[in-house]
Amino acid sequence: MRLSKYVKFREEKFGGVLFETRSEKVFTLNAVATAVVREINAGADETALVARLHELYDDRDGAIEREARAFIADLRLKGLVQD
Amino acid sequence: MTVQAANPPIAPLVPATTPAATESGDLGAPLYVAWQITNECNLACLHCIEESGPGKAFKDELDEAQIFSILGQFMDHEVPYLSFSGGEPMVHPLFFKMVEFVCARDGQLKIETNGHYLTPENCDRLKTLGVKAVQVSLDGATKATFNRMRVRGDFDKATEGVRNLRAAGVPIEVNYSPTYFNVHEIGTAIDLAYELGAYSFYTGRTMYTGNAVKAWHKLALTEEQYLQFFETLHRKTEEYRGRMRVHFHEMGLLDELRYRLHHPAALLIVLPNGLVKLINALPFICGDLRKESLMDIWGNFQRAWQDPRVAQFIDDLSRDPGKTSSLHQWVYV
Repeated sequence: MRLSKYVKFREEKFGGVLFETRSEKVFTLNAVATAVVREINAGADETALVARLHELYDDRDGAIEREARAFIADLRLKGLVQD
Repeated sequence: MTVQAANPPIAPLVPATTPAATESGDLGAPLYVAWQITNECNLACLHCIEESGPGKAFKDELDEAQIFSILGQFMDHEVPYLSFSGGEPMVHPLFFKMVEFVCARDGQLKIETNGHYLTPENCDRLKTLGVKAVQVSLDGATKATFNRMRVRGDFDKATEGVRNLRAAGVPIEVNYSPTYFNVHEIGTAIDLAYELGAYSFYTGRTMYTGNAVKAWHKLALTEEQYLQFFETLHRKTEEYRGRMRVHFHEMGLLDELRYRLHHPAALLIVLPNGLVKLINALPFICGDLRKESLMDIWGNFQRAWQDPRVAQFIDDLSRDPGKTSSLHQWVYV
């Protein structure tokens, strides 16, 4: 999984931004969403990414994992990442 | 590995629409830099807001060392998206070297051109270098209207340039400025853009500034014409949905500026001499890239929008729309 060709990612103090330059749409990301995109940008697959989030966050109830998977699905749906 | 105590939820992926609509707020750097790399142009278009034309290069345009120092700053601060325009950017002697610099550092770059230098060789080069898109101005669907608007221009040459882009596999955008004498062609111009392979079509209201001030009696649209124009655009947006994006600004200049006053875009406009404007439709300069760093200017950009002279200018504009004719009389804030 990686960011699509025309998608740029930049980290910010508040989290980060994703910029889809074909449609010229910008998406703002909070800290956790930024952590997800950072892992994608580093080339992690979904399984590795979720494992990494477990390392980073206390996710005993699995909420972070569920949200991360939903977030990744949304990224795919919007064409912001590709496998 | 540190486990963080707080688990902020992942926010839904809500777009902030376009870079121009993204507020600069807490961003560490601009998201978009629109750089007019020269004021020189092979054409002398009736409506040119920059008053570009043959022999119209600024006397103090940036030299090579300045250009690449500035580009280096943009790349170092991860400005994700740049455009090169003019004048005609492709007449700049360092044009391809600049393109290569940005693309090699993974910047997304759009070229805004009149299309007259889009030879097959140049298009292949742009493709190889990896530009994000080339936007060509096609202000008319026929030779008669295009050539009238684009003085010294040639409709056939511009459309041939777009075909060369398509053959080379370069993503194409088309830009269209409406006037009294070409507005009736908006529908066919959109059809033409699609036939030529464009993925995006841009238009909006033509501004009363630059060359347009002198030619306004030939250019100005009636409100009735604008009504039909936007009606056609709404219809064409639906017709081409999923095939080509039809993008237009229906908002008038005054409304746009009033909004921007409180929501500055994350966009810097860089002039050929390195001065930085707050926004194209205002005369205010918030920095000089020859003397100041990008970060200093970015900081000043946020403050400059709060300068009372900016609000005053916009307020005055509501009483005197003709004030846009003075946009080239720069005011430093």
